[in-house]
Amino acid sequence: MSGIRNIFVLIKQVPDQSSKAGINPDGTIDRVKAKRMLNPFDRYALQAALHTKKNYGGKVTAISMGPPAAVEILLEALEHDVDKCYLLSDKRLAASDTLATAYALHKVIQYVGDFDLIFCGLQTTDGDTAQVGPQIAERLNLPQVSYCEDFKIEENKVIAKRVVEGGFEWVRMQIPGLITVANSYHPLEYKTLRGARMVQHLLRNEEEKVNYIKTITLDDIKADSVKCGLKGSPTIVARTDKVSEIGGSCIVYQGLPAEQMVSNLVKNTKILEFIKS
Amino acid sequence: MSDEIKKLPEIITPSNKEVIVIGEVVNGEIKPVTIELLGAGRDLANKLGGVLSCSLFGYKLGDLPKKLISYGADIVYAADDPVLENYQTLTYRRVLIDLLSSFQLPPHVVLLGSTTTGRDLAPRIAAHFETGLTADCTELDIGPYEHTNKMDPEKVGLYPGCLYAIRPSFGESLKARILGPWKNPQMATVRPGIMLPLQIDNNRRGEIRKLLVNLKPEDYKSELIEVVHEINKSVNLTEADVIVSGGFGLGKADGFELIKELAGCFENSAVGASRKVVDIGWIPYQHQVGQTGKTVRPKVYIACGIAGAIQHRVGMSKSGLIIAINKDPEAPIFKFAHFGVVGDLYQIIPELIKQFKSNNLHLKKGIYSACVT
Repeated sequence: MSGIRNIFVLIKQVPDQSSKAGINPDGTIDRVKAKRMLNPFDRYALQAALHTKKNYGGKVTAISMGPPAAVEILLEALEHDVDKCYLLSDKRLAASDTLATAYALHKVIQYVGDFDLIFCGLQTTDGDTAQVGPQIAERLNLPQVSYCEDFKIEENKVIAKRVVEGGFEWVRMQIPGLITVANSYHPLEYKTLRGARMVQHLLRNEEEKVNYIKTITLDDIKADSVKCGLKGSPTIVARTDKVSEIGGSCIVYQGLPAEQMVSNLVKNTKILEFIKS
Repeated sequence: MSDEIKKLPEIITPSNKEVIVIGEVVNGEIKPVTIELLGAGRDLANKLGGVLSCSLFGYKLGDLPKKLISYGADIVYAADDPVLENYQTLTYRRVLIDLLSSFQLPPHVVLLGSTTTGRDLAPRIAAHFETGLTADCTELDIGPYEHTNKMDPEKVGLYPGCLYAIRPSFGESLKARILGPWKNPQMATVRPGIMLPLQIDNNRRGEIRKLLVNLKPEDYKSELIEVVHEINKSVNLTEADVIVSGGFGLGKADGFELIKELAGCFENSAVGASRKVVDIGWIPYQHQVGQTGKTVRPKVYIACGIAGAIQHRVGMSKSGLIIAINKDPEAPIFKFAHFGVVGDLYQIIPELIKQFKSNNLHLKKGIYSACVT
């Protein structure tokens, strides 16, 4: 027996940047108006957690931090057969940077209880930092494997394949530990029928939802609010600039039949000279 | 307005003004990003009036610490020990925490490369010291900052000598300047291939300080079993002369068959991809070009159905010749490509393949040389 009992997966709701909704003219995102989605990187983390449950046993708990709307991604996790969810939602968390986020999430993890493995996505599409996972590992004094592409559990240790420049590494990690999952891991499988039915049931029976998705505040997890949100964040975005467009120098062919445009392109690009140079 | 700003109290966050670059060794050589960081770090140290130092951990480092001095470091902190032969999170973490804790006043700036090592290690160090860290910077500078946020009254003031950590930000075309002047060290990871190294100067003088390695039992909670170097024939993006990349405009995963066919028209070519199509699983991560993928500089880059978001652009904008094919004439890629074709790529690409193959454009090297004689 591998002895895996509790698997945590950390997931985040992010703005859908492929949708034009909520994108301000200056390029910033209006998070209220923007379409929302499960962070694409977290889909791999979720799959890794579900694989662990399937192959080695245990229960999967999904944990998120965000506004009340983030319940949507936890319902999505339940459709994939996650067992239980926690949402940390508190106005005092606004403007948290990665350090403050990791502080708050590590307090949630301590509140939820014992675990064998924590899975995180490599990074988020709205922050792109890849920092929160390792920062949680540091707070919890855990070993970590980042950029994990595959893994197995043997003799209560994780044997993980870690993608690095020019190849990969095999790392042996003690349990408990934290893994950030690369997006070369297996894609998230379909929702399960059981999960989808259960979510349908919960949507009709709001009072039962709390048994599966527990919303908690900083007071519940006994977090020090000075370490959260704006106050707890050592970094701020001091300003944002539009990237100046070089523009104007691109020779564009359009409105002609494909054959003609391509022939103009091939004639004018001097592609051979570039390849030869 | 300016009068009001002048009234802000000046706040000096204690530091020893030192800029420390966390160096990396791979296969017995200093990684290029370390040398680039020394170039960037030199400028920051000069602006701060402090020293530039560089740490280097490994085994049998030989002349490498001296080389770091030639590339601009005033001080090199070298830890040479068999347990440090390969990067491992917890062992390197311990030695680095010991180093950064050894100063009476903390260093001002700590820089790491945005490599799988830097992005693994930097967040742990920042969390340990509870200090700020900005990921994947593309520009760095030193300057003042006036903090006027009334929500945060105890921090209001004028901070001189802040690290400006500048990075592309979410959305399509934003650059964010991120600051953390309240605590030192101010930390950043920096994208490889962007900062300019200094000219090597073997007459430069500097000091090499040997570090003691004192690991604790808990530093062995994870261990490296094996390193596998992969010579991936099909995906050698960084060395290809021609890269043909596909994006979301392909509409379906099968679209990459066409991309492969076009790439196949060229000698030494590779297939690239935007992050979006990697995220949705149309093609493996190894093909990804851009901020979170590879930074490439081929002679010719052909972008098919790629909008040209800044995340993609930072990874390929230095290519020799950029050709864009996109059905949206407003796509940002037409702002920085050299040539563009607006249209349905399922018509344009087959036509390109046809013309490359049939006209006298024999693009494979051997045939080409036969052709010119």
